[in-house]
Amino acid sequence: MRVAFVIPAYNEATVISNVLKDLKKALAKTKLDYEIVVVDDGSSDKTGQIAKAEGVFVISHILNSGSGSATATGLSYAQQNGFDIAATLDADGQHDPSEVIMGVELIQKKKADLLIGSRLINSKGMSKTKVAGNKGLSYITFLLFGINVTDSQSGMRIYSKKALDSLKWKSSGYEFCSEMLWRAKQQNMKVDEYPITAIYTDYSKAKGQNNWNSFNIIKSLLQRRIMEVFGE
Amino acid sequence: MSRYLLLVLLNTPLIILGITNAVVAYKLDRTSRRRFIFRLVLWLGIFAGLVFAEPIYTFLFNKGLTQTEPLSLFDVIQITAIILVLFLANLANSRVAILEKQVRDLHQELSIRLSEKQNKK
Repeated sequence: MRVAFVIPAYNEATVISNVLKDLKKALAKTKLDYEIVVVDDGSSDKTGQIAKAEGVFVISHILNSGSGSATATGLSYAQQNGFDIAATLDADGQHDPSEVIMGVELIQKKKADLLIGSRLINSKGMSKTKVAGNKGLSYITFLLFGINVTDSQSGMRIYSKKALDSLKWKSSGYEFCSEMLWRAKQQNMKVDEYPITAIYTDYSKAKGQNNWNSFNIIKSLLQRRIMEVFGE
Repeated sequence: MSRYLLLVLLNTPLIILGITNAVVAYKLDRTSRRRFIFRLVLWLGIFAGLVFAEPIYTFLFNKGLTQTEPLSLFDVIQITAIILVLFLANLANSRVAILEKQVRDLHQELSIRLSEKQNKK
């Protein structure tokens, strides 16, 4: 069983080294056959170089294309190289590596195609505005696409071989999180969730999504939904 | 020549082109079945509207649902121009969608291949 750990990163030079060290430390305790892939989404700082120095595989985007695009590139690499499972996690250090590994075990047990690490099943440690923003986007995702998940925007996701082979989306920005769920539903994939804890540091709070960006996400999702009606 | 006939004659080539483009794109797997059906229904709907423009107008006028003047030559030109713009917009939209996908795939593939080379060094 080969597992790819995909980390899309944009200007994360400050923390990427620690994130990779923690992940490698957690993986050293397992018997997994794995590869860590960092997708440097055209960073203007030294994110790519620092990640390379940590001995992981780095894909450097020529142009900054957005989180959805970087995730798609990482998963495409995993698919092309015959990985059986892929996991994505954020580069800002908000995810606990041991919980990603737990997700890899869970997706096999649950026989799911897409497993989402939900920060909102137990939202301890999250600010009220973050909870409200994420719950709101999950509700919008439900209204637009009929998918009922607690945390539609979580970056920690585990993908089965089936999902790696056939799950594609069009959005390049953060709205890809919801669109991915919609595409999975269209392909009758089994989507499941498991609780995770989000680690919010001053850095990740400053770097993370601004609630105002939710309006851009909603706008893009609405546009995507309307265009689908017209057959796009 | 009746203005209604002129309206149909002027617009039929555009509608035939629109339907042909939709069928060719679908047969060459460049578009989804859903989009193909949407385009087909759109063009056939417009064609039906043009062919039955006179009876529709007469019906609405007799029922008192419209007080507008019958079709003028200016209306014929205006409707033809609107349909031409619709045709061009549809064409441009299809091309942009194809190009967008190609650029996205190219960027993805190029990034992976270049990185594979760089990581081997």
